[in-house]
Amino acid sequence: MTHRISSTAADAPLRRLRHRTGAFASGPNPFDVAIEQFESALPYLDLEADFIEFLRHADRAVIVNFPVVMDDGRVQVFDGFRVQHDVTLGPSHGGIRYHAGLTLSEVTAFAMWNTWKAALVDVPFGGAAGGVAVDPFALSDGELERLTRRYVMDILPNIGPEEDILSPDFNTNEQTMAWVMDTISMAKGYSVAAIATGKPEPLGGTVGWRGSIGLGLTYVTEEILTRLDMPLEGATVAVQGFGRVGSHAARYLWERGARIIAITDMGGGIYAPTGFDVEEVQRYAREHGSVAGFPRAETISDEDLLTMPVDILVLAALGNQIRADNAHLVQARVIVEGGPGVVTPRADRLLAAEKSDVMLIPDILAASGGLVVSYFEWVQDLQSFFWSQEEIERQLHKVLLRALDKTWAASERLEVPLRTAAYVCAIERVAQATLDRGIWP
Amino acid sequence: MNGNDSPTMQEVATHFYDEAAELMKIDQGVRDQLYVPQRVLDVHFPVKMDDGSVKVFSGFRVHHNTVRGPAKGGLRYYPNLTLEQATGLAMLMTWKTAVVNLPFGGAKGGVLCDPKALSRDELERLTRRFTSEIILLIGPERDIPAPDLGTDEQVMAWIMDTYSMVKGYSVPAVVTGKPAVIGGSAGRRRAPGRGVVFVLRELADRIGLDLRGARVVVHGFGKVGVTVAYMLEHVLGSTVIAVCDRSGAIYNPNGFDIRELYAYKEETGSVVGYPQGEPITHEDMLALECDVLVPASIENIITADNVESIRARVIVEAANAPVTPAADKVLREKGIHIIPDILANSGGVIVSYFEWVQDLQSFFWTDEQVTQQLRKILVRAFDQTYTLAQEHNVPLRVAAYMLALSRVATAYKLRGFYP
Repeated sequence: MTHRISSTAADAPLRRLRHRTGAFASGPNPFDVAIEQFESALPYLDLEADFIEFLRHADRAVIVNFPVVMDDGRVQVFDGFRVQHDVTLGPSHGGIRYHAGLTLSEVTAFAMWNTWKAALVDVPFGGAAGGVAVDPFALSDGELERLTRRYVMDILPNIGPEEDILSPDFNTNEQTMAWVMDTISMAKGYSVAAIATGKPEPLGGTVGWRGSIGLGLTYVTEEILTRLDMPLEGATVAVQGFGRVGSHAARYLWERGARIIAITDMGGGIYAPTGFDVEEVQRYAREHGSVAGFPRAETISDEDLLTMPVDILVLAALGNQIRADNAHLVQARVIVEGGPGVVTPRADRLLAAEKSDVMLIPDILAASGGLVVSYFEWVQDLQSFFWSQEEIERQLHKVLLRALDKTWAASERLEVPLRTAAYVCAIERVAQATLDRGIWP
Repeated sequence: MNGNDSPTMQEVATHFYDEAAELMKIDQGVRDQLYVPQRVLDVHFPVKMDDGSVKVFSGFRVHHNTVRGPAKGGLRYYPNLTLEQATGLAMLMTWKTAVVNLPFGGAKGGVLCDPKALSRDELERLTRRFTSEIILLIGPERDIPAPDLGTDEQVMAWIMDTYSMVKGYSVPAVVTGKPAVIGGSAGRRRAPGRGVVFVLRELADRIGLDLRGARVVVHGFGKVGVTVAYMLEHVLGSTVIAVCDRSGAIYNPNGFDIRELYAYKEETGSVVGYPQGEPITHEDMLALECDVLVPASIENIITADNVESIRARVIVEAANAPVTPAADKVLREKGIHIIPDILANSGGVIVSYFEWVQDLQSFFWTDEQVTQQLRKILVRAFDQTYTLAQEHNVPLRVAAYMLALSRVATAYKLRGFYP
């Protein structure tokens, strides 16, 4: 068995064929991070070597190269991917990403993370991810729509409500999902709402999708504080990133009595020791495109925020924020990951060894609210019967607390950090399902 | 094989592409699209071994292009299979099917495994599981696999059965190269060799080469080499002065009796030691002065390192890519006629096409009908290629690429770009 999917090897075979490949994002490769996290759980599991090898690879990866007619009449060729990492627990599910440097290994990492996330929260999904190597901001709306529709047509044999469900991710949104749903529906001859989640509400979208990651993050954080005997009421919070995850997380934490004292985003950072009115900050950020310049606040940098003495540090911006070089400076009591790879594997080990009083809530648990509500959207589309906001919140709370319980128990039993515990629970579930189903034929 | 001149299948498949695309004024967008595979499916799957353990295998299926019809191409079971190699071979299939005008696109795929190291049961389970993994891409209207290195009629039968079980009814048209009893075609085994001889005859007519008495060297004595040598010697009266296999080469200036030589090889496992021939090295054999040289073994036989020694009048590429691009350049300057692989060895895919047609219509042809149709298609394709070569004053290989490319580009132009 050769290891063809590794961070570099996965992209090598096709790279020389390509005319244009985007620059790779800097920092540790997501695939290497995903593999390291996966491997950290293996000592606590009794798995056969070949089964581990199987889980290290995606079941299926499809690479498509497809033509799009540009506004000036030229035909341009794009690379697209769809990777299904594991489908033992059910249809695979995952986002589609648009950025110029997208590679097969990055997509594979996200597909793998989605497998573990779904397994941890007991949602009957496998993990998938996909996307197109394209800078969406360089395209017109018409070009972006044609690109999306053609990409969907080319991966059509691989996707479907029973096979693989798409959702928004980096640089894709509700509009993208509406095009996905329409393209499939046109090909089938009838509406297929359950093919995509994160759709606009009139097309079978669910209420509560937009704030789902932030709300889930809040539920998990709240419960963990309770177990640590720390009141959320009055707790100080610093939030890095004020987008789809960070702004909602700040808002929900604030509504529950926490004091949001520092916020940074791509435009800059603000600090107020008495705490912000998050509703006002949201309004300001919507108008100005950033929190920077918010009145009656001091200016701070990202680095200030990361090393600030706070009760809770919410990291909802980019990957690779807490690294080996700054982990020892962190003064927060609880770190909450709002997305994958925020704390690097090396920083993970440093925190566990030297700062055991810092509680790290890993993204696989804290940021899985999006996946859970995507699942609820799929369920509602299957039954063509839709839930209220209260129902979504109640169910989300139930699912996340169950996952947290399980993770917490494993963490205490094995005496390992929450991340390792979460991976142990997730991998165990996939392994058990594989064993129960058997090997076909 | 030789020295440093060992280009990849990818480089070979795209080498004449730019020259041909330039001459045919192919649109840049279409050129870019044809440089890359349209779809690659990469799968990892578990197989239960005889000792109860589970082993994970990797495989893939590449569709280079399907604008002219369903994808068509072989499945290899080969431990060193790479995605790049499969992509290059899939590309060659696109050109091959286009140059002879079959309504197919190019595909290739396989599993990284050594079939000889597996038991028959393991091979069957591996094949059935792999079929399930790629089932979403294959089908009579989508993609029709065929045997290739390490796979055979039995493997095709298992694929056909697995696909049929999933569908709930028999679907013979999902693969070609099946055993005759489950929808295989007559005349498949000899088709590649026959095709080589048909196009050689057409070229000989055009350049005034009398094949009767012509001195022929055949590199490789497998299924294709034997058929070509036998037809040339027995039917057309040529003198086959040298042949070789992996173990060595033999030479006889008066020509071999191929039927006898074949019987000797069947008995001893090699042509080496055949009493009516004198031993000769592979290099010396390639350097023999002859009318027709038939590379019928593997790729990269005639390279920059030995091309200067070649003294043939005509080279017919019975194998895929036996002449490297660098060597091709030299042969072109020397004025040696080359019938390129995508035309010369397309007999196999043409009869695969016939098998698919017969399965679609559930009505089967005789060996004579197959041969007659094969000849018709190849004579037409040769004629079109030759005419194009004359018109543009380019070698047959460039003309064949021009013909293939223009057919694919025209299909794009007519179909347009979805959406």
